[in-house]
Amino acid sequence: MHEGTHSMSNDYIISWKVAGVALGLLLTLATALVKPLGVSTQFVVTDAVVAHTVAPQFAESNEYLAKYGEQTDWGVGYGWMLVLGMLVGGGVTALIFKNRQPQADKGSMPPMWEAQFGHSHAKRYAAAFLGGVLLLFGARLAGGCTSGHMISGISQLAVGSFIFGVMTFGAAILMAKFLYRAR
Amino acid sequence: MATLIIGFLIGCAFGAILYLGGASSYRRIMGTLLLKDMWIIKLMATAIGVGTLGVYLLDFNGLANLSIKPAYVWGIALGGVIFGVGWAVSGYCPGTCVVGTSEGKKDALFTLLGALVGAFTFSLVYPYIETGLIQNANFGKITMEDLAGINGIYLAVPFSLALLGLSFFVLKDRYE
Repeated sequence: MHEGTHSMSNDYIISWKVAGVALGLLLTLATALVKPLGVSTQFVVTDAVVAHTVAPQFAESNEYLAKYGEQTDWGVGYGWMLVLGMLVGGGVTALIFKNRQPQADKGSMPPMWEAQFGHSHAKRYAAAFLGGVLLLFGARLAGGCTSGHMISGISQLAVGSFIFGVMTFGAAILMAKFLYRAR
Repeated sequence: MATLIIGFLIGCAFGAILYLGGASSYRRIMGTLLLKDMWIIKLMATAIGVGTLGVYLLDFNGLANLSIKPAYVWGIALGGVIFGVGWAVSGYCPGTCVVGTSEGKKDALFTLLGALVGAFTFSLVYPYIETGLIQNANFGKITMEDLAGINGIYLAVPFSLALLGLSFFVLKDRYE
């Protein structure tokens, strides 16, 4: 990995300062117009919609899915449209700025992962999948994720969100240190 | 209908900011979790700094549509730990796996699929853990404002300045 003298200019598209301020303003706008940002609930809504289509009886009998399904009339609301927007907004922006994305951030196999765990794509995808299962199990147990609890929740000075932030970062840092221990 | 369109547009901006700011980058996420590359923590602290100020200025003027999550200590603590492990293993969070998928990253798509399975798994387990982990030690929708007993703006301003100061002046870009 050779770091050229001009590498800093290729290291990002917009800086953390610009992205951070923009995100804070977007959260303020969302709070003024409808409600703060949140993502993880929409995975349940999606499950509820699918379950209701495939196996309606099961969906009605599942207390947790029914809770989200009925509230949104087995359909989509503000929050789900927001996540759909992320898919579209992220995708369109990625197409436009493709050539400006740092090389190290491109593709489905992070160079960092490859250096530690080898070239197997199956291994990377299995870890990504397993991580995803844990993410949403944890987020639903806690009632939110990085956006709903950490960004929106802490910005509202919610006590539960501070607890989530501390526990999440604590566990994630320990796990990351364990995964990337010298060997 | 208007609310749905607003949601979609806010989502578009959210996705664009996360992509452009490198938040869907495995290198950035793991760099922060390994306490080496401070990019993501600075981005988040700046967002929360500006967000806290914005939200409480709205609230001070009676214009905020707040959504405070209940503080049930055990469920949030355990959920936070499980979430944190999943974050480090996948390198994504629920929002950034959506953005990574939109970029065409296959690992992000696998995280997204896993996330749908994880949410479904939780729906099966929910009836068994609701009493112990969610109803137990649940202090309701409390904020620091409630704990301190003063108007939130007086907490929001110093907290916001502290986070912005941390990002802009205290933390270095990298630690080796």
